[in-house]
Amino acid sequence: MAVATTASSGPVDLLINVGKNQSTKTLLRVIILCFIAGAAIASRLFSVIRFESIIHEFDPWFNFRATKYLVANGFYDFWDWFDDRTWHPLGRVTGGTLYPGLMVTSGVIYHLLRALTVPVDIRNICVLLAPACSGLTAFATYLLTNEMTTSSSAGLLAAAFMGIAPGYISRSVAGSYDNEAIAIFLLVFTFYLWIKALKLGSVLWGALCALFYGYMVASWGGYAFITCLVPLHAFVLICMGRFSMRLYVSYTTWYALGTLASMQIPFVGFLPVRTSEHMPALGIFGFLQLVAFLEYVRSAIPSRQFQTFLYVALGGIFGLSLLGLVGLTAGGYIAPWSGRFYSLWDTGYAKIHIPIIASVSEHQPTAWPAFFFDLNMLIWLFPAGVYLCFQKLEDEHVFIIVYALFGSYFAGVMVRLMLTLTPVVCVAAAIAVSQLLDTYLVARSPEVPDTEEEASDGHAKKASKQGGLRASSQPVVGIYNVVGKGFIAGAMVLYLLIFVQHCTWVTSNAYSSPSVVLASRMPDGSQHIIDDYREAYQWLRQNTREDAKIMSWWDYGYQIGGMADRPTLVDNNTWNNTHIATVGKAMASREEVSYPIMRQHEVDYVLVVFGGLLGYSGDDINKFLWMVRIAEGIWPDEVKERDYFTPRGEYRVDSEASETMKNSLMYKMSYYNYGSLFPPGQAQDRVRGARLPEQGPVLNTLEEAYTSENWIIRIYKVKDLDNVGRDHASAASFEKGHKKKKASKKRGPRVLRVD
Amino acid sequence: MRSLLSVLVFLFIAVVQAVSSSGDRLLVILEDDAEKAGYSKFLGDLESRGFEITYETPKSESLSLFHLGERSYDHVLLLPTKSKGLGPNLTPNILLDFINANGNILLTLSSSTPAPTSIVSLLLELDIHLPPDRQGLVVDHFNYDTSSASETHDVLLLPSPGPLRPGLKDFFSPVSEDGNLLAFPHGMGQTLGQGALLSPILRAPATAYSYNPKEQSEVVDDLFAAGQQLSLVSTMQARNSARFTVVGSAEMLSDQWFDAKVKKLGEKSAVKTLNRAFAKQVSGWTFKEIGVLRVNWVEHHLNEEGMSNASNPKIYRIKNDVKYSISLSEYSWDKYIPFEVPESDALQLEFSMLSPFHRLQLTPQISSSDSTYSVAFTLPDQHGIFNFKVNYKRPFFSNIEEKHTVSVRHFAHDEWPRSFVISGAWPWMAGIGATVTGWLAFCAIWLYSAPSAAKKNQ
Repeated sequence: MAVATTASSGPVDLLINVGKNQSTKTLLRVIILCFIAGAAIASRLFSVIRFESIIHEFDPWFNFRATKYLVANGFYDFWDWFDDRTWHPLGRVTGGTLYPGLMVTSGVIYHLLRALTVPVDIRNICVLLAPACSGLTAFATYLLTNEMTTSSSAGLLAAAFMGIAPGYISRSVAGSYDNEAIAIFLLVFTFYLWIKALKLGSVLWGALCALFYGYMVASWGGYAFITCLVPLHAFVLICMGRFSMRLYVSYTTWYALGTLASMQIPFVGFLPVRTSEHMPALGIFGFLQLVAFLEYVRSAIPSRQFQTFLYVALGGIFGLSLLGLVGLTAGGYIAPWSGRFYSLWDTGYAKIHIPIIASVSEHQPTAWPAFFFDLNMLIWLFPAGVYLCFQKLEDEHVFIIVYALFGSYFAGVMVRLMLTLTPVVCVAAAIAVSQLLDTYLVARSPEVPDTEEEASDGHAKKASKQGGLRASSQPVVGIYNVVGKGFIAGAMVLYLLIFVQHCTWVTSNAYSSPSVVLASRMPDGSQHIIDDYREAYQWLRQNTREDAKIMSWWDYGYQIGGMADRPTLVDNNTWNNTHIATVGKAMASREEVSYPIMRQHEVDYVLVVFGGLLGYSGDDINKFLWMVRIAEGIWPDEVKERDYFTPRGEYRVDSEASETMKNSLMYKMSYYNYGSLFPPGQAQDRVRGARLPEQGPVLNTLEEAYTSENWIIRIYKVKDLDNVGRDHASAASFEKGHKKKKASKKRGPRVLRVD
Repeated sequence: MRSLLSVLVFLFIAVVQAVSSSGDRLLVILEDDAEKAGYSKFLGDLESRGFEITYETPKSESLSLFHLGERSYDHVLLLPTKSKGLGPNLTPNILLDFINANGNILLTLSSSTPAPTSIVSLLLELDIHLPPDRQGLVVDHFNYDTSSASETHDVLLLPSPGPLRPGLKDFFSPVSEDGNLLAFPHGMGQTLGQGALLSPILRAPATAYSYNPKEQSEVVDDLFAAGQQLSLVSTMQARNSARFTVVGSAEMLSDQWFDAKVKKLGEKSAVKTLNRAFAKQVSGWTFKEIGVLRVNWVEHHLNEEGMSNASNPKIYRIKNDVKYSISLSEYSWDKYIPFEVPESDALQLEFSMLSPFHRLQLTPQISSSDSTYSVAFTLPDQHGIFNFKVNYKRPFFSNIEEKHTVSVRHFAHDEWPRSFVISGAWPWMAGIGATVTGWLAFCAIWLYSAPSAAKKNQ
């Protein structure tokens, strides 16, 4: 950061003199960019230093497992991979339902390093891929910003912002081996290439843009953002009357090649011509042809006839294509907007219609403080930068404006889309900061103040006479007062320093936890590592059959697959709502209902996460209502959310809890035997602050197999059917020594045996 | 010498092990050793079939069904005892553990001694019910032995039971020239619950009923059970195929009734009972000498030309043709013989994921030494983790539940027919060809005509 500001307009004379030489400037820039990349990578290494080189969270575990499969079996096997260890017993056509970009990138790096005889573990490549890509992202941001402004400092500032902005770091710390790690670089670079192609009207750049777009499609489902933003940009340009052959050439090149490239990914396939999300790109492609044709016609025939022709043609074609679109959608040839898309417009939509989407925390609407938390001062510099784009308003500035508009809307709707907003915030903020610094950080006073003043005065008069053209004119700025200069520049430097400090603090405290390993502080201030997850997964790996099926809520599916290497029923790839609802029903129902479900799905072990002892709030009881809601979506008659609340509408786990709640499998598994840790009647749930009933729950169809050190993970084994044909409850009571009462048999008419 | 000895030992072991498919250690529980004499023929028969018999009384200190968590005996025969309970070594839990550990129990009851409480609660767990107060007597005023029970009518004479229902193998129908009657003297009947694990061997005739002889009333108003609902000899085969048999009358197995001549009401001549042969069959079944099925091997493979048809692959592709075979043997007294499914019954294969996608009859190929059941079929058009499942559970046959898991994958990218093979694709391919040619032609014309166009403009 500091380096960037110093170098771009250093106060030291020597540096100014040095910086005047063109090649020295280039060298300086390269060095600065290298430093920025270094800083970007370094700030993402907190987790490796604090914990170890470990894959984080949930999705990265799948990506890691897939990468290992790719490295072990080669590309074609990966392409045709049928994964029979997830979604038991349905299996998953993994090769055709993932974005392979990330794994293939790691695989290529791995084989490249092998070829260079650098023996490196695939895990380390996976862990460090995201930081490495962040360096490239910084560079791509530099290139993109340079297209926007002539100021040499803006690009470097943008690169530095991008390198350390927490909004981006949140998804790219070391170990966060997720699609976003590589996709943000591709996003920014594709945008850069698009701007370049648009500016030059070049087929070459357009093709390059399409190439990187294809790479982006291969890497992340968020590619739809590009698919919609580029056509939107083109559309806005046309509406502004800025149609040009440059636009025509670059857009058509990008669309034709990019669509072909995207269709090569099995998961995408024919989606670009069959779903509504991709229709804007196709529509604008057609629209451009139309506009180009009209331009040609206008140059060929007189304007009077042309106007009539124009209206008729435009109206006719627009009406026809709209009708066609509606007809095709109604006929089922084009898929209507998906639920995920609707949830972008109506934040309440998912909660009502698709609880599974709403249950993911990163799909929640963003809270306002999150913007400041993730972007700090950039968030208030951002509008200034957008304003400056309005001042110049070339084609590329329109792009930034459109991007800013949509990026901020989407970021407001969904937490995770903060990620797509961050690049444009960095670019816009960098434009604003560099404008400020370029103005205030010039040591010498403006050389010809009089003429400039006159010129600007004259200009202003002229503008007021002509009216409305002021915005497009270039205001002449210059500051004379050294105190003012010093004050503003000093304040700016202070802000930048605080920004760096904030970013480092956020990265270190909020985004560097692997979440599979929890850290807490002991009373004496030393760090205490809570490693229950890995402990339990290791237990599964060592003590169960290799094909023992584990049932857990879907959050832990990828981790069980990756760390314990055991088949799971559901995982974080939530493609089958019914299957997830089945698990939800098994967890939410009475044992008598759950047991046949578990038998049918051949479940051997059930894993639950319980935070009551430690006060770990991300446990299954707190997620339980989502299980109930998702199950209710499929079986509204058998599972009802209302039954899990007390009559007064409270969600409780203590003795006041509703009967349905107390009898649910999840409740029983969480609190089974929990009372034995405490003196009688003192059992306490530290997450929900509830005192538990003295009589703990009774489990008949499951037996406790393992409980981790801090009781975070509890694993239960599903009992086999009783050997002599009793139900589990009576078998268990017999084990305890209760004799059956004959009298109970006498009630009612005798049932005769017929065979 | 040593090798010869080892061969001899091996042969001896082979002979000894040939008695029952699950071991020869038999424990007989009786009130005292003197009672042995009354059952000498039955016990002698067992010994001659190769069982090593240990005798214990319930009070014995040394009596223990388990040693270090392993079964000490393979089979238990419980003869009536007078004690109210069976002591701490034969609690219902221990007996149930013995069944769960795959041990077999043959239990005998008698109307003369109340059933021990331990036995009553064990039977309750198995859903077999004894008359109230642990005591009951089965009488039949139409089918009784006129020579020995002309007053009390409590020695029932029954024909041999025959198969439980059509389509089941008949294990318990002894044939003899002398007569065809079973004597069931002084027995206690049972009623059975609805469980599929329970099946009666011998049911009371329609006119029989059970009452409590200790009740001194003239009129029997509270019948425990009557007719077909009253089971005289019942069995329970656990899920692990451990066998448990209740013989309602211990005297049925005694020497006295093995040789007795009985005369049915209205018959002129007395006939010899079938009890000895019946006892052999019941004890043979209980101690797993008959009706034990064994899966020799299971094999499935790809049944397509030009593919590697290796045995038991882990993964298939949808719509593959596969062949599944299973070889079964049945244990018959001292050896395994090829198993033949009874008439009007069938062995079926399920190919299932959550629910069966196919349920197919397996066709038998039976030779003198082997019986193989096989079927060839096409896998469903659904990928997933499937089970080849043979689930053959019939009364009196040990359970067969063979599950072999395979994955069925989707088509790989290079397994689809190429586009030029599909006739429907030809118009599109022609379109591609036309576009390519057209574009090349256009380029050629453009390049050729460009200079002249430039001249015109000038």
